[in-house]
Amino acid sequence: MLNQIAWLVPLLPLLAAAWIGAGFVLGINRGEAGERHTFMVAVGAILGSFVLMLALVVEAVIDGAPGYLLYTEWFHSGKLSIAVSLMLDGLGLAFGTLFALLLLIAIRFSVNYMHREAGFQRFFMILSLFASAMLLIVLAGSGVLTFVGWELAGVSSYLLIGYALDRNTATKNANYAFITNRIGDAGFILGLFVSLSLFGTTEWTLLSSLESDQQTLMRGMLIAGFLLAALAKSAQLPFAAWISKALEGPTPSSAIFYGSLMVHAGVYLVIRLQPLIEQTPVMMWMLMFIGGLTALYGWLSGLVQTDVKSSLMFSTTSQVGLMFVSCGLGWFEFAAWHLALHAIWRAYQFLVSPGLMHMVTRGARPVPAWLAGQHQLYTAALQRLWLDQLAEWLLIRPVDALSKELVDFDDKVVNRIAGLPNEQSSLTRGGERQWVANIGRGRGFAGRTMEKTANAMHWFEEHLILKGSGDGLLGVIHHLGLYMQRVEQLLAQPRYLVLLILATFAVII
Amino acid sequence: MKHTDKQQDIRSRLKHLIEHFEHVLPGQAPIQDFVHHNTLHGYEHLVFPDALKAVHELTGAYGYEPAEKYREYYQKGRILKRDLGAVIDADSELEAQQQITQSLTRGDVYLQAMLHPLNSVTACQLNWQIEEQHALTTFQPDIPQQSRDSLLSASGGNEAGAITGLWEACMQVLEIDQQFLHPEELADMSAEYAEEMLTTLAESEQVESIDNLLLHRLVHKESDHLQAQLWSQVGDEITLRGLLRMLTGHDVMDDYRPALLRYLASWLDQGVAAWRNGSATGGFFHAWRESAMEDMVQYDTQMPDWQDQLQLVPDDPLEAVIVELKQLGLEEDAWEGYLQRLALELPGWSGMFLWRHLHPGYEGQVAPVDMMDYLAVRLVLERLYAQRLTRRKWRIEATLPTIRWYFRRRRSEFFVRYTLFNKRLPEFLSNRAQRLAGQDSRLDEDYSPWKIVADMIWNWQQSPSSDRPGRYTPYRHGWQLFRLSQSLGMDAERVQLLDSEQVEIILDCLQRLDEEKSGFVWLQAYEINYRDQFLNAISNNHRRGRWEDRKQRPQAQLIFCMDDREEGIRRHLEALNPELETLGAAAFYNTVINWKGLDDDKVTPLCPVVRTPSHELDEIPHSSAAERYQQHQERHRKRILVKNFLAQEVRRNLLSSTLAIVVSAPAALATLVGKITAPLQFGRFSALLRRNIDLEVPTTLALTAEESAPEGTEDANRHGFSDREQAQNVGQFLRTIGLAQGFSPFVVLFGHGSSSENNPHASAYNCGACSGNHSGPNARAFAQMANRPQVRTLLQEQGIDIADDVWFVGSYHNTGSEEIEWFDVDMMPLQFHQQFEQLQSEVAQAAVLSAHERCRKFASAPKKPTLARAVSHIAGRSFDFSQARPELGHATNASAVIGRRSVSQGLFLDRRTFLISYDPTTDAEGAIIEQLLLSNGPVGAGINLEYYFSTVNNEQFGCGTKVMHNVTGFFGVMEGANSDLRTGLPRQMIEIHEAMRLHVMVEASVEILTKVYQRQPPLQQLIGNGWLLVSAIDPDTGEISLFDPQQGFIPWGGEVKPLQRVEHSSDWYDGHMQPLEPVMLKQEAAHA
Repeated sequence: MLNQIAWLVPLLPLLAAAWIGAGFVLGINRGEAGERHTFMVAVGAILGSFVLMLALVVEAVIDGAPGYLLYTEWFHSGKLSIAVSLMLDGLGLAFGTLFALLLLIAIRFSVNYMHREAGFQRFFMILSLFASAMLLIVLAGSGVLTFVGWELAGVSSYLLIGYALDRNTATKNANYAFITNRIGDAGFILGLFVSLSLFGTTEWTLLSSLESDQQTLMRGMLIAGFLLAALAKSAQLPFAAWISKALEGPTPSSAIFYGSLMVHAGVYLVIRLQPLIEQTPVMMWMLMFIGGLTALYGWLSGLVQTDVKSSLMFSTTSQVGLMFVSCGLGWFEFAAWHLALHAIWRAYQFLVSPGLMHMVTRGARPVPAWLAGQHQLYTAALQRLWLDQLAEWLLIRPVDALSKELVDFDDKVVNRIAGLPNEQSSLTRGGERQWVANIGRGRGFAGRTMEKTANAMHWFEEHLILKGSGDGLLGVIHHLGLYMQRVEQLLAQPRYLVLLILATFAVII
Repeated sequence: MKHTDKQQDIRSRLKHLIEHFEHVLPGQAPIQDFVHHNTLHGYEHLVFPDALKAVHELTGAYGYEPAEKYREYYQKGRILKRDLGAVIDADSELEAQQQITQSLTRGDVYLQAMLHPLNSVTACQLNWQIEEQHALTTFQPDIPQQSRDSLLSASGGNEAGAITGLWEACMQVLEIDQQFLHPEELADMSAEYAEEMLTTLAESEQVESIDNLLLHRLVHKESDHLQAQLWSQVGDEITLRGLLRMLTGHDVMDDYRPALLRYLASWLDQGVAAWRNGSATGGFFHAWRESAMEDMVQYDTQMPDWQDQLQLVPDDPLEAVIVELKQLGLEEDAWEGYLQRLALELPGWSGMFLWRHLHPGYEGQVAPVDMMDYLAVRLVLERLYAQRLTRRKWRIEATLPTIRWYFRRRRSEFFVRYTLFNKRLPEFLSNRAQRLAGQDSRLDEDYSPWKIVADMIWNWQQSPSSDRPGRYTPYRHGWQLFRLSQSLGMDAERVQLLDSEQVEIILDCLQRLDEEKSGFVWLQAYEINYRDQFLNAISNNHRRGRWEDRKQRPQAQLIFCMDDREEGIRRHLEALNPELETLGAAAFYNTVINWKGLDDDKVTPLCPVVRTPSHELDEIPHSSAAERYQQHQERHRKRILVKNFLAQEVRRNLLSSTLAIVVSAPAALATLVGKITAPLQFGRFSALLRRNIDLEVPTTLALTAEESAPEGTEDANRHGFSDREQAQNVGQFLRTIGLAQGFSPFVVLFGHGSSSENNPHASAYNCGACSGNHSGPNARAFAQMANRPQVRTLLQEQGIDIADDVWFVGSYHNTGSEEIEWFDVDMMPLQFHQQFEQLQSEVAQAAVLSAHERCRKFASAPKKPTLARAVSHIAGRSFDFSQARPELGHATNASAVIGRRSVSQGLFLDRRTFLISYDPTTDAEGAIIEQLLLSNGPVGAGINLEYYFSTVNNEQFGCGTKVMHNVTGFFGVMEGANSDLRTGLPRQMIEIHEAMRLHVMVEASVEILTKVYQRQPPLQQLIGNGWLLVSAIDPDTGEISLFDPQQGFIPWGGEVKPLQRVEHSSDWYDGHMQPLEPVMLKQEAAHA
C-alpha cells in the first residue's frame, strides 16, 4: 500500500524547495517575518519524508522488502525505455531512512543557526533541494533517475558553497567545485549512454542481472564511466581538491554536504553497482588503488590541517577512501556499514565543530618521531600534495591560454576574412584613409586614369616599399617572420601538440 | 664608520616599528582568552573623532554608523531635532549661528544636510533621477510637509512649476549652462562618436600621424601626473601587491595566500594539528624557508628560479627584511610605512602574530614567535609572486625602479591600465582596455592599440558624463543646492536672490559636514537623546531610592557584578523583598588569583586582564571525602581520555579511527537526536550523567597560607593568602563598595559566567573582570575569607566590625541559563539556616523573573510567556547547540552609575547600566573614587567600545556572521578555510546593540571629581579624549553636572520632566522588543 506512494519521499522536499522559492519570488516569505513560514515548510517536508521512510521500513519488516518498484514508463522508443522507478531493497530502505533522519537533523539545526541571515530563505530552499536530490540518489531505481538526483545535488552544492555571494573566495571555490564535478558527470553520462545503447535500459535491477559475456569493451566503458562519476563526487584522487575548497558555506551545510551525505554518494553508487563491478576485476583493483591512495592523501594532509573544518574534511576524505578500498576488496557490505556509521559520525562532528576547543583539554597528539623528521613529506602534506597547483598547470592554464588565443584568432583572422570590424584596429584604419596623399589632379578620361594610376603607384611605393619599418613591404615581411616564429612557439606548447594529435585522430577516424 | 651607524639606525628603527604595530593592529588575544577591549585601543591618545578619522584614513574602516541608519533612528524618534540642533550649535568649528541670508543660518543648512542625503550624484544618476524619477517636476520623496507647503504656495499650488522653477533658479545662481543637461549629453558617449571625434581631431589638426596629435601629448602629460601620484603612494598607502593590483587588476596575494596562511596557522596552532613544523630552535622565517625550498612550485614553468631566489635571502629575518626592501628599490624613509601597510593587509593574522610575539610562551607553546620573521616571510613571498606576474606581463623584474622605468617609456599603457583598474570607464572603453591589459607580453606586440585606447579614454574623460572636477557642475553643486532648497522650502525666487558669496557659504556648509563630521554629529545627538532620558530618570529618583544609608538593618546584602546584565535580577530582587539591599562591584572581588579547580591540570587567572596574580588558589576535596576523591580522579581521567580521543584522535588516525567511528556512531546519533529534539532535557540529562560518571566530590578551598610562607610573586605564586592578606583584601573591598558598616545577617557575593554550546566566542559572555572566565571561585573565596574569625579580628583593627550574626555566602549566577549555584552552604552555622532558605527562594524567584524579562528581546522566544515557559526557554538556549545567540551579552549597554544604590534603585534601567557601589560620604579625599575610576573606567569603556565598533562597522571592526566561522588553531576564527582571521564581535552579538559611548554617572561632588581628574593622566586620556562620557550627581543636592573636556563640569541644562510610573517591570516591558526608556517602579517602603 505504502509502496504506491513511496515516490513522495524524494518529492516532498522538492516541493518544499519549489514552495519556498515561489514564496520568495511572490514576496510571501521574505525577511525575518517570513522565517517561520520558510522553516515550517522545509522541516515539515523532510519530517514527512522521514516518517514515510520509517513506515516503509516497518512494512518491509512485516512483509519483506518490496525491492524494485516500477511506477510508470516515462519514455519508450523501440529498444529504449526509461522508467520512473524506485529501488526499495534493504540497501535503499536503510539508507533512505538514515539520510532522511540526518537531513532532518541538519535542517532543524539550521532553524536557529541561520536566524536573521539575509539568505535564510535561499538557504532553506537549497537545503530542501539537496534533501530531495540525496533521497533520490539513494532510492532511485535507475541510472537516469539517479543522475537527476546527482545533478540536483551538484547544483545545490554549488549554490551553497557560494552562499556568501559577496565573498570572492566563496564564489571562486564554488565554481571550482562545480567544474570538477562536471568531469564526473561526463563519466556518468558516458555510463548511461553505454547502458542505454547496449541494453536499452538503465534500471539497476536489469543492469545487475546481465550476463557477463556481453561485449567486454563496452561493459568496461560503462563501469569506468560510473566509477569516474563516483570518484569525482566522493572527492577521490585526482579530484580530491575540490572538497577541501568547499568549506565556504554555513556550518550546517558543510556538515551534511561534505562531511556526511554528498561525499558518500559515490560510494553508494559503487555499492549499488556491486554485481556489475564484481565482474570486472580490473575495476576492483583500480578502486582499491585509488581509494588507498586517497586514504593516504587524506590522512597525511589531515595531520597538518590547522582549522577545524579542513581537518574534519581531510579525515572524511581518508575514510571515504577506505570505503572504496573495501569495495575494491569485495567487502561491499562492510563498506555499506562503514558508510552509514561514518555519515552519522561526521554529521555530529561537523555540527559541533564550532565548539571543538571547549571539548578538548589538550592539543592533538603529535605525530611519531619518524614522521616528524620527514621535512619533505611535511611540505607535501601542507601543500596538499600540490593537487591545486597540478590542476592549474595541467588544466587551467592551458585552457586559459587556449581561450585567449582563440580570441586572438577571431580578431586577427576570422574577423578580417569575414570583414567584421576589428575592435582594436578600426581606428587605425579610419586614420589611414585620411592620410592617403593625392598626387596631382587630371582632367578627362585619360587624365583621370593617369591620376588614379599615379596614385596607386605612389601608394604602392609609399606603403609597400619605402616605409622600411611599420607598414611597408619590409614591415610585412618582418611581421610574417614574427608570425612564423610565433606559430613555431605555439606548436612547441604541449597543448597544441595535443590539439594537433587530436586533430590527426579525428581525420583518421 | 658613519655607514655602520646608519645601518644600525635602520635596524633599531625596524625593531621599534614592531612596538608601534601595537597601535594599529587588532590587539585581540587568542579566542579562548577573549576579553573585551577597545577595538581602537592604540588610538586612545587621540580625541575620539580624530582617532576615528585617523583609522578611516589608514585602514579604510569608517567608525560611525551609516547616515541612513541614523536617519532611521531619527524617523523612529530615537534622535530628535533638538538633539541634533544642540550638537550642531555646540560645535564651534561649524559656526552654526552665522547668518547666510536674513532668514537662513548655517545651522539651518547643517540640519537639512543631516536629515536628507544631499550628496552629489554622478551624471548617470542625475539622468536617471530626471528621466525615471521625474526629479525636475515632482518633490523629492523625503521633503517635509512644511517645506512642500511653502514651495507650493509660492507657485500657486503647481508642483511641477515650483520644482522646475527651482531647478532653473539653482542652475542660474550657479551659472551652469543648461545645455549640458540634454539627456544624450548625460548618457555615456557612444563608441562610434568617440572614434569619430578622434578622427575629426586628427583632420582638424592636420598632423602627419596620429602620434603627433596634441591630444596624444596631453595623454602623456596626464599619464606623467598620475604616475608621479602613484609612486608617491607606494609605502604608506600601498605595497608592491597593491601597486600591481592597480596596474593589472590581479591580486598576487590570491596566489600565495593559501600557502602563507597554512604556514602561519601551523606555526601558531594551539592544538588542532598533530603535525607542526614549530620547534624551539629557529624561528618562523627559518622554518618556512626550509620547507618552501622543498615546495614543488619550483617546478612551475613560471617560477624557474624559486629555489635560487630563496637561497639568496639572508638567514637572519631582520637582514632579510632589509635586503628585500633594498631590492624592492624603496627609499629608506618609506620602509616603515611600507611594512605597516604590509601588516595591515592581513590585519587579523598580523595582529595574532604580534600578540604571540608580545606574549612569549603563551599556553606553554615552545615555538618562538617573532614579528620580524613574519615580515620577512611576507616580503619574500610577495616579491616571488610579484615577479612571476611582472615577468609574464611585461618581461621585467618586480622592483619599483624597473616598473617605473618601464612605464616611463609606455605612458599610454600606464594611462589605460590605471584608468581601467581604478576609475570608471564606459563599457565600450573598458572592453577594449580589458583586452589589451589581459594579454601577456609578447615580442611582436604592437604598441599602437595602447595609444589609441589611451587617446579614446582621455577624449571620453573630457565629455560631461565623466564627472571631471570643475567649478560648478549640475550633478555636484547643482543637485545639492536643488535638494537643499527643496528641504528648506526655499522657492525659486528666494534662490535667485542668493549672491555668489552666499552660494559659496552654502556649499561650504555642505563641505564642512563631511562623512566624519556628520557621523560624529549624529552619534552625539544619539547619545544626548539617551543621556537626557537617563539623567531625567536619575533626577526624578533623587531621595526616592532606598539604601542611602542603613539606618535600619537590611535582611541581606547581595553583591553582584557591576555587569549591566545583573541590573535585571537586582531590580527583581528588590521588588520581591524591599528589605534586601543589592550592591555592585567588579566580580573578581578584590581576590586576584590563579585558580586551579579540582580537575584542572593548569591554573586560570581570575582577575582583570591588566593584573597578574601572585597567589594561587586550589580547590581541594573535602577532608571527609579522600577515598571518594580517588575514585573520582580515576573516573574523571578516563572520561576526559575518551572525550579527547573522540575529538582529537578520530581526526588524526586512519585505521583506528574507522574502528572508533563504527563504535561510537550509534551514540552520536542518539546525541544528535536528543540535542535537536529536546535540548534542555537532553542537556540536563547529560549533565547528570556526567556527574554520576565522575562521582561528585564535596570540595573546599586551600585558602589560608602560613604567615611564614614566602611572599607570592608573579612567577612563584603563594598558595593561598595569609590571614593578614585576607583581611587586607576583604577590608579594602568592603570600604570600596561602601559596606564598612551596617552589615545584614547575610552578605552574598555572586560570581557570574555564562554557559553556551558550540560557541567559539564563549568567553566574551563571561565575567569581564575575570578575563572572560567564571568568577564563581572569587566570590567563594571572598566569602570564606570574610567568615574566618581570624580575619574578622584583624578587620576590627581596621575599624570594620563584623558581628557574629553576619554570614558571608559565595554564589554563582549563570547569566545564560539563569541558574544559581551556592557554595559552601555546609559551612554555615545552624542559626542561619532557616532565614537562608527564604533568601535562596527569593533569589531563585528573581532569577525566574530575570529570565522572563530577557525573553522579550529574543525574536525566537515566546511572546508574553508564562514564568515557567520563560525559564525553560532561557535555560534551553544555553544547552542548544544550534543556537547562535545563547544570550545577548552586553548588547544595549549604554550607561553606568557609580554611587550608592539609592541613586538608581526603584528605576527600570532595562539592563543597560553598569551599577557600581560607592559611598561618597565615606570618601572625603576622593581616594576611593579615584581607584574605582582607574580600575572600572577602562573595563566599562572596553566592553562598551568593543560593542560600539563591532556594531557600527561589523564587516571591518567585527567578525561578521557566526554561521561561516571556522575555528582555526584554537586561537581565532576564519570565514571559510582561507580568509583573514576575524577579530571583534560576531553579528549575532551586536545586532540589537545601540552603538553609543558609555555615559558614566558618578555620585560625588564636582570638586572632588575635578581634583581626581587633574591628578590622573590615564583618566585625562580616557575621559578627556572622549572615549568615556562622564557626569556627576551631587550626593547632597542631587544636582547633575556634565563633564566637558574643555570647560570641566557644567550644569546639565536638561529640563526635568515627570517620569512615568509602573507597578511591575513586566508592565512596562511586556510585548516590546526594542530598548525602553527608564521608568519608575512602584516603591514599597522597606521595613513595612
